[in-house]
Amino acid sequence: MAETIVVTSGKGGVGKTTTSASIAVGLAQRGKRVAVIDFDIGLRNLDLIMGCERRVVYDFVNVIQGDCHLKQALIKDKRIETLFVLAASQTRDKDALTSDGVKRVLGELAAEGFDYIICDSPAGIEKGAHLAMYFADRAVVVVNPEVSSVRDSDRILGLLASRTQRAEQGNGGVKEHLLLTRYSPRRVASGEMMSIDDVKDILGLDVVGVVPESPDVLQASNAGVPVILNDNSDAARAYEDAVARLLGEDVPFRFIEEPKKGFLARLFGR
Amino acid sequence: MNVGPTRGGQPDASKARGLVGAPTTEAESSVVDIRYGQVGLVHVRVRTTDPGKLLDDLTGRVAAAPHFFRRTAVCLELSSLETPATVPEVQSVVDALRRAGMLAVGLAGEPDAVGGLSMALNLPILSSYRTPTRPVPVVQPVEAPTPTPAPASASSPEGHVPAQIHQQPVRSGQRVYGRNRDLIVTSAVGAGAEVMADGCLHVYGSLRGRAMAGAHGETSARIFCQEFYAELISIAGIFRVFETIPSELAGKPVQAWLNGEDLRLARIG
Repeated sequence: MAETIVVTSGKGGVGKTTTSASIAVGLAQRGKRVAVIDFDIGLRNLDLIMGCERRVVYDFVNVIQGDCHLKQALIKDKRIETLFVLAASQTRDKDALTSDGVKRVLGELAAEGFDYIICDSPAGIEKGAHLAMYFADRAVVVVNPEVSSVRDSDRILGLLASRTQRAEQGNGGVKEHLLLTRYSPRRVASGEMMSIDDVKDILGLDVVGVVPESPDVLQASNAGVPVILNDNSDAARAYEDAVARLLGEDVPFRFIEEPKKGFLARLFGR
Repeated sequence: MNVGPTRGGQPDASKARGLVGAPTTEAESSVVDIRYGQVGLVHVRVRTTDPGKLLDDLTGRVAAAPHFFRRTAVCLELSSLETPATVPEVQSVVDALRRAGMLAVGLAGEPDAVGGLSMALNLPILSSYRTPTRPVPVVQPVEAPTPTPAPASASSPEGHVPAQIHQQPVRSGQRVYGRNRDLIVTSAVGAGAEVMADGCLHVYGSLRGRAMAGAHGETSARIFCQEFYAELISIAGIFRVFETIPSELAGKPVQAWLNGEDLRLARIG
């Protein structure tokens, strides 16, 4: 039984695609069969982050419009056997997505035996974002610890609770998870940034992961290697923990306290 | 001028469903389905037919809750007029309501009283809302005393209208309305969300959005919340915007009530 997880946020630039890529890789590393779909039609990014941009022949819109079979459009990841990418179309606009088409593709992916289907939502609350979340079983809401991102996430959570198939059918709704990105313990300590508890309080949800602000994320995007594959990165460990929690494991949070400065560091400043 | 909601049509939902006349199989081939429906209907009782006075009064109320009156279907009640209204007078009232955003869809009252107006203005007669159409239960459930013994609301002089209970968080952009009753939210109301009730409003969580009680002019309505961070509080159209939250109230359990024209807030406990 395939589980559909939407990665969404409302606000742009908070790390949805980075998170989609790392969660997809993390699940696949654990042997799950994973398909990750880019719903940001016209602004495709996921293939860049996954490092398969030069192998896109057919895309999501082609499958929806019947130009090709699903199998022709699924791009197999070079690193992990069980991971596949369905890229967005660069040349179409978001109207090319239809509810029936998305439903059919998700159904075909489930029939192919995928365990997880990760839907990378575009920013905003319009058609692409709506269709990305509509058929979801679970949602990972990516939020930066700052007020506008938190406000937009609240809006998205409202839509998840009302305008999704599970909400409309009344079978328990979409299971919601918060994932904080760009978290800087130092800036929280100095009062410049909202703390995990502030965000939890306002949104009334538990946190499935806290990814520290890290230069490794940008570097990973540029290199086309999802950051979770970086062996020396705190952000990668944080994503691994988030994947474990998504699978129901109880993992303590790391990288949420400011590292203690050593004697010399304190003496000479930062 | 009294604006109060009422229910139009059959109150018994179980009887109100189902097709009239044709069984379902025939209905599928028919081009018209006729069903009993049930819709909430705002009731407008006028005490004057002067359109200028009506508009003055209405624009203030509509401004307090613009979205709830935009193209709202209303039932017009004329029984509070001192002298029986003429057709042109009622027409001017209907026009004034329309300018305030409301669409009159019927007249309240008994056929012998408003029959002529109904024919002349082409507006159907909707049964008077003061007539209890629902049997009043013999055994009243024992109620804990409410903090404000609200006078029976216009729509149900005897019947007890249970509060509307909302258990999910009210998120930014969402709106929950306890039409003709109290609203109890057992979760948080987010910034940019809107909770509204014709009666009292209770929020057992943090209140960061807008809260409006007594949305149809009930001045004894109150607002209660567990953690106060509201953007706006309004009772019976009298409102206060909180650009900054008073430090003695921030995050505290707070109630709000009207003292005359004065909107008061205080910590509870």
